[in-house]
Amino acid sequence: MLSPLAEADWTREKAAHLLNRAGFSGPPEEIDALHSLGAKNAVKQLLDGAAAKLEAPAPKGIEARDMLALRQSMRSLEEEARRERKKELQQQERQSARDLCEWWLLRMRGKTGDPVAEKLTLFWHGHFATSIVKVRQPFLMWQQNDTLRRNALGDFGTLTKAVARDPAMLVWLDTARSRAQKPNENFARELMELFTLGEGHYTEDDIRAAARTFTTYKIDPRTQTFRFERRQASPGPVSIFGRTGDFSGDDVVDLILEKPECAAFIARKLWVFYASGQPDEKLVQELASGFRESGYRIRPLLETIFNSAAFYSPAALSTQIKSPVQWVMTLARTLEVGLPPGRILLGALDALGQEPFRPPSVKGWDGGKAWINTATLLLRYNMAAFAVGNETTGGRPFQGGRGARRFQEQLARQLPLDKIAPPELRQVPEKLAARMADRLFQRPLKERETTAFARFAAARDVLDDQAVRDLLQLMMSTPQYQIT
Amino acid sequence: MDHFEKPTDTLHTRRQFLRTSMLGAAAAWTLPLFLEKTFLAMDAEAADSATQTINGKDGPILVVLQMAGGNDGLNTLVPHGDDAYYRARRRIAIAAADTLKIDGYVGLHPALTGLKGLYDDGHLSIVQGVGYPNPNRSHFRSTEIWQTAADAENLKLTDGWLGRYFDACCQGADPTVGVSIGSARPQAFNSLVPTGVSLANPEQYRWVAEDEADEAFRALNRPSQDPLATGVNAGDSIGAIPGDAPGEMGALDFLERTALDAQLSSDRILQISRKFKSAVSYPKSQLANSLSLVGRMIAGGLATRVYYVNQGGYDTHSGQAPAHQRLMTELSEAVAAFCQDMKGQGNFERVTLLTFSEFGRRVAENGSDGTDHGAAAPLFLAGGGVQPGLFGKYPSLTELNNGDLIHNVDFRSVYFSLLQNWLKAPAEIVLGRRFPILPIV
Repeated sequence: MLSPLAEADWTREKAAHLLNRAGFSGPPEEIDALHSLGAKNAVKQLLDGAAAKLEAPAPKGIEARDMLALRQSMRSLEEEARRERKKELQQQERQSARDLCEWWLLRMRGKTGDPVAEKLTLFWHGHFATSIVKVRQPFLMWQQNDTLRRNALGDFGTLTKAVARDPAMLVWLDTARSRAQKPNENFARELMELFTLGEGHYTEDDIRAAARTFTTYKIDPRTQTFRFERRQASPGPVSIFGRTGDFSGDDVVDLILEKPECAAFIARKLWVFYASGQPDEKLVQELASGFRESGYRIRPLLETIFNSAAFYSPAALSTQIKSPVQWVMTLARTLEVGLPPGRILLGALDALGQEPFRPPSVKGWDGGKAWINTATLLLRYNMAAFAVGNETTGGRPFQGGRGARRFQEQLARQLPLDKIAPPELRQVPEKLAARMADRLFQRPLKERETTAFARFAAARDVLDDQAVRDLLQLMMSTPQYQIT
Repeated sequence: MDHFEKPTDTLHTRRQFLRTSMLGAAAAWTLPLFLEKTFLAMDAEAADSATQTINGKDGPILVVLQMAGGNDGLNTLVPHGDDAYYRARRRIAIAAADTLKIDGYVGLHPALTGLKGLYDDGHLSIVQGVGYPNPNRSHFRSTEIWQTAADAENLKLTDGWLGRYFDACCQGADPTVGVSIGSARPQAFNSLVPTGVSLANPEQYRWVAEDEADEAFRALNRPSQDPLATGVNAGDSIGAIPGDAPGEMGALDFLERTALDAQLSSDRILQISRKFKSAVSYPKSQLANSLSLVGRMIAGGLATRVYYVNQGGYDTHSGQAPAHQRLMTELSEAVAAFCQDMKGQGNFERVTLLTFSEFGRRVAENGSDGTDHGAAAPLFLAGGGVQPGLFGKYPSLTELNNGDLIHNVDFRSVYFSLLQNWLKAPAEIVLGRRFPILPIV
């Protein structure tokens, strides 16, 4: 099942598939370069590149705050002044939340970060899904992002233990307010249900027992970092999975990792995220046993996935619906343009159903077909129009005042139209359409699409820049473009 | 309203398509012929007995209102006559004197004045102690159980209960037979054949381009592949790609169907929303906006059986009282305005609104002035066609299951009753088995 892809079977289309799935696609030259490396080296280069650029300095303006001092200073103010100050702080928070998100999206785009590294970090964000809606403080969200990226290619046990201590998670799933006398079960439940085992592999008693091992996990308000609070320790031994002892939170994670279901749960989820929607159970078991034997090391698991013949099989090729982030990044990277400014971009991602740092619930994003309904599909089509400088519908997210209009013009000017549609091809509509389709789809299309694009190009008197924009818009306004 | 009773020149509905193509008159831009064959093959049996004719003029409408997060039923329909309630909730109980009394035992949350008005007028029914066996306390799983109407132990069922109604009764209907407000689609709408549309805002629910592009666009945004030609049998997966679960539609087929539905519905919805304005003034909240839009679509005669709206924020683990007060106010005001709107339109008798939440909260308050995930809770039905009153029994506050109320009414009894007696659908086919009928509609 997991035999590696033979080098002889390595094609440009497969290189494009790898670049799409491991990262966020790229322009033709990038695919060519990856193709020239051969299968195994291509995978290695992508993962080496990711490893080198996983860690990132904090974005500007994101820093810890002494919450104790802040609260004291608030208390010393008159009521009126306090209200003003509070409003001001909230505004700052909203602004830095936007900055943080934009910082991450820019890293994904690839100028400041590495797309493969950022996509993997996005996977872990969707897995340990935490939302700023409840956590509130951008600094905590950044700190969690940092924890995820530092451990993204490391081992899953260390990552999970770090997430259990992560201040944003402590707020998100209420461990911060869990008390020895009344342990809050929220984190313990999601730890087993969503983060490690999946439903059906633990009991309600296991959850209650595990909850008692995390009551000491707290946040130091002065540094906004993790603090172990001994006086909240829940005394006495606990029984988990039929074993009894004075278990710590870390012990609970280790006990979970001993269960083979955990390896299968994570391996399946990574396969679904990167390869295809419905993995064969035998394949999952094979991935899982390798994962477990390696001590839950993530990089070798990814190498196995990306090198496997199954990853390049018809069950995986062109079967995935692009997530909104994938859609936006792919568009920018393949057309070689920048991202729209924060407010428009975040508004669009929100409406499309995937705003980073704001997953809808601790379950993360459902993905797959759940990305698509009539509303989100038409919005994607209108985003495509926006990106090439054509007319769009009114309202959010496209009309954020004159700034949006100005930016759209800027974005449209940025489009390297002579590169996308070389002048020498503009006399031959059919060839031009084929060249452009190759850039956008990177795979052979069905006749209906090929013919429609060629006909559309041929119907124009001249293939000027506006015609090229219109053709790009049409190509992206299709069901085929939503798939990778 | 005459304007909307006949189709526009460029917009044909799927049902019309079926009719015309059966006469051999399929226009080039309508659906390919194979789709018709698929509909017929899939629903050969159901077609005779269950397929419903759906227009926008008469026929029942169901509006489903999801209260996401797990609404605290005990502080919604307050058992003010029970000391056990006040013992369990020393800090967040609602004083008996503050409740809007229904009888000597229960009263509504003080903010639910709109609902109380509907109750007094005989337009609200309250079903008490609704839940299901082996309650699950995870938001996601419990929501899924409510959306799919599955047994708690059945993890396999992913189709929605309304989606199965669409599959059984509404094939060949307009895509707008189900409309959900918001850019996310509820799982309750999941069906074998994608049916129903989602939209957040009618003005943005369209594709903008020049005429020539529009023609190419329409040609590319519809199904391309003949599922019957690939040897897939009725009831099997449609256009499945390797790797898809049996019965599941492939990603591209799914996208193409959705694209067609978007195309067919967008012009009409935009027209309606521009032409019809609400005659009543709705309060300012997202829920009220959603219900106001539903009201305009009903006024415009959209051929819709089920509307779906959402109100979030019910996960009140801490500092519950002010948050819950706000949520109850929003709910009550929005539903009252919507009912007023329906009365003004003369459509009140055609509309039933159902509320639900994935679970109630635990009986005992927690240490943070909030409540944790629980089980059974009451739900509401409002409209001109409901049987007013209290149904079901209030669960005992002292005989608990693990600190939780024990349900007396399975939520699927409510669904069954609505399907059978309101939507006039074969409820047993949709839900897979019989549930006791409640005389709520």
